[in-house]
Amino acid sequence: MIPYLLRRSGASVLVLFGITLLTFVVFFALSPDPAVTICGKTCTPDRIETIRGVLGLDQPFLTQYGHFLQGLFVGRRYGVGENAVQCAAPCLGFSFQTNQPVLQMIAARLPQTVTVAVGAAVLWLLVGVSGGLLGAIKRGTVWDKGAMLTALGGISLPNYFLALLLQYVLVVRLQVLPFPDSSIGLTQDPVGWFESYLMPWIVLAFGYASLYLRLTRDTVLDTLSENYVRTGRAKGLPRGLLLRRYALRPSMAPVVTLFGMDFAGLLAGALIAETVFGINGVGKLAADSIATNDQPVIMAVTLLAALLVVVGNMVVDVVYTLLDPRVRISQ
Amino acid sequence: MTAPTTRPGSGTAGVPLLEVRDLQVGVPGRDGPLALVHGLSFAVDAGRTLGIVGESGSGKSMTSLAIMGLLPPGATASGSVRLRTQRHPEGEELLSAGAGRLRGLRGDRMAMIFQDPLSCLNPYYRVGVQVAEAHRVHRGSSRRQARALAVDVLGRVGIPRPHQRVDDYPYQFSGGMRQRIMIAMSLVCEPDLLIADEPTTALDVTVQAQILALLSDLQREFGTGMIYITHDLAVVSQVAEDILVLREGRPVEHGPAEQIFSDPQQDYTRELLDAVPRIDDPVPAPHLQGGTTPLRPPGTSWGGGTP
Repeated sequence: MIPYLLRRSGASVLVLFGITLLTFVVFFALSPDPAVTICGKTCTPDRIETIRGVLGLDQPFLTQYGHFLQGLFVGRRYGVGENAVQCAAPCLGFSFQTNQPVLQMIAARLPQTVTVAVGAAVLWLLVGVSGGLLGAIKRGTVWDKGAMLTALGGISLPNYFLALLLQYVLVVRLQVLPFPDSSIGLTQDPVGWFESYLMPWIVLAFGYASLYLRLTRDTVLDTLSENYVRTGRAKGLPRGLLLRRYALRPSMAPVVTLFGMDFAGLLAGALIAETVFGINGVGKLAADSIATNDQPVIMAVTLLAALLVVVGNMVVDVVYTLLDPRVRISQ
Repeated sequence: MTAPTTRPGSGTAGVPLLEVRDLQVGVPGRDGPLALVHGLSFAVDAGRTLGIVGESGSGKSMTSLAIMGLLPPGATASGSVRLRTQRHPEGEELLSAGAGRLRGLRGDRMAMIFQDPLSCLNPYYRVGVQVAEAHRVHRGSSRRQARALAVDVLGRVGIPRPHQRVDDYPYQFSGGMRQRIMIAMSLVCEPDLLIADEPTTALDVTVQAQILALLSDLQREFGTGMIYITHDLAVVSQVAEDILVLREGRPVEHGPAEQIFSDPQQDYTRELLDAVPRIDDPVPAPHLQGGTTPLRPPGTSWGGGTP
């Protein structure tokens, strides 16, 4: 198990390096000169040169990338002499727009994103897995057909549309919910906090739950045709135990695999939901930084997403071995 | 085809352990219900074995599933299946019993062993857990008691080092060992009735003999009434006192094993018997109606005899 994880980590580090290099190429080497953007309207060629010098943009591409990696691992210095700014590792640079350290910007946005992701994940796992199980054991009934139809709706309905619809109905027309305000903390106003995040949770969970419902239903149906389910019935097991041990547990591997990827992706920012509901999360940060060509922020957000997906994948592998004893030996 | 010789339960006076009367099993077909078992009657006494013999598709498995209440969705059973239980010493009707009552009897008073021991074991749980599962459910034993019981039962069915192997998973056992685990699992509550549905078909011949011996020993020890379902007359001759020959869901012949082997009354039984290869048989076995390739009897070569 341990050597396997070490091997996986090694491979993951290589993947992450590849992603930083690619992102660096796309956003630093191929996009318009950031010094011009930073300099603004009242700009002189001298000033542009200074900015280039401070940011190291006058260096060759590989040197710039080297500085980026250096900042990541040991920290780096911007500029020379008295005006130099020290950036401690892991240094992701400073925003071209606000001059804030990018690391701080992300750290400030992460709690909102995590709240959105965790709440939605709990909701969609509950609804998706139990709905899928119900559909499988009540196959062909009204329950099954209703669940499948709703799931089809959830998959085909774009979530920005659902978000706007919910907001219109619940906030504007019925006024049962306030307009979401992501600055409310859980401890200072639990009810307000819950009401603010409820719509993003529902919107995100609806789409995912639909996928998970269909996946769970199909996998459980497969499992139910296994001979060992008949053995379980022949033992006279109570229905709940039979379903848990002989239907649900053997069906969980694909759900866990998908969940690891989806959840990791969501932690890197729920772009649409955050934008529509005005939640200041990582997804909104990414959207804003792309709109303003704020390259250090784009780099950081991309790196975060890649890191989360890579780590998520490793967690999935570990959980997989816990779920299926047959995988354990072969590793 | 004449009516089969029916033989009510012998041995103990009074009520047999299991009494099946006029059992009919049907499944929904394209043109209305399709009958798979037509009017089957037999009885099984405690401590005795009834062999049900027939080709595949003769309704053997449907009969056993009907007794257990495990028929696939849509299949229906009619007639009467009565099991002597503590609650009803005069025999409890199972076909009309509620799902909860059947669940309470299954795995506790009546158990079943299936054909393919790997696919019939849950790959996700340790064998110890699976062996003792029925005991935990029906007798409410604790986790620790269940484990101790699993070790004990695994040892009794001949699993070496049971205290270690109790924590292994099914795929870590050979086919014969898996079937021993299935047997341990079915006997853990010491059921009154055990239905073994082709328990040795997936195993090679030497292992088959071991499993048969084990079943006979355990049956003697616990006084279990057994229904042994097989297509193989050679196997059933080793375990059953009574034999019921089935064909296309109908009883062909029913009687004590010795009588069926020495003096079969029906042509079909005779054909089945002749199909059993014997070492001292000079001619190749004839093939049954239904057209399977004749078996080459041991000791002859394809070139030697006329098929």
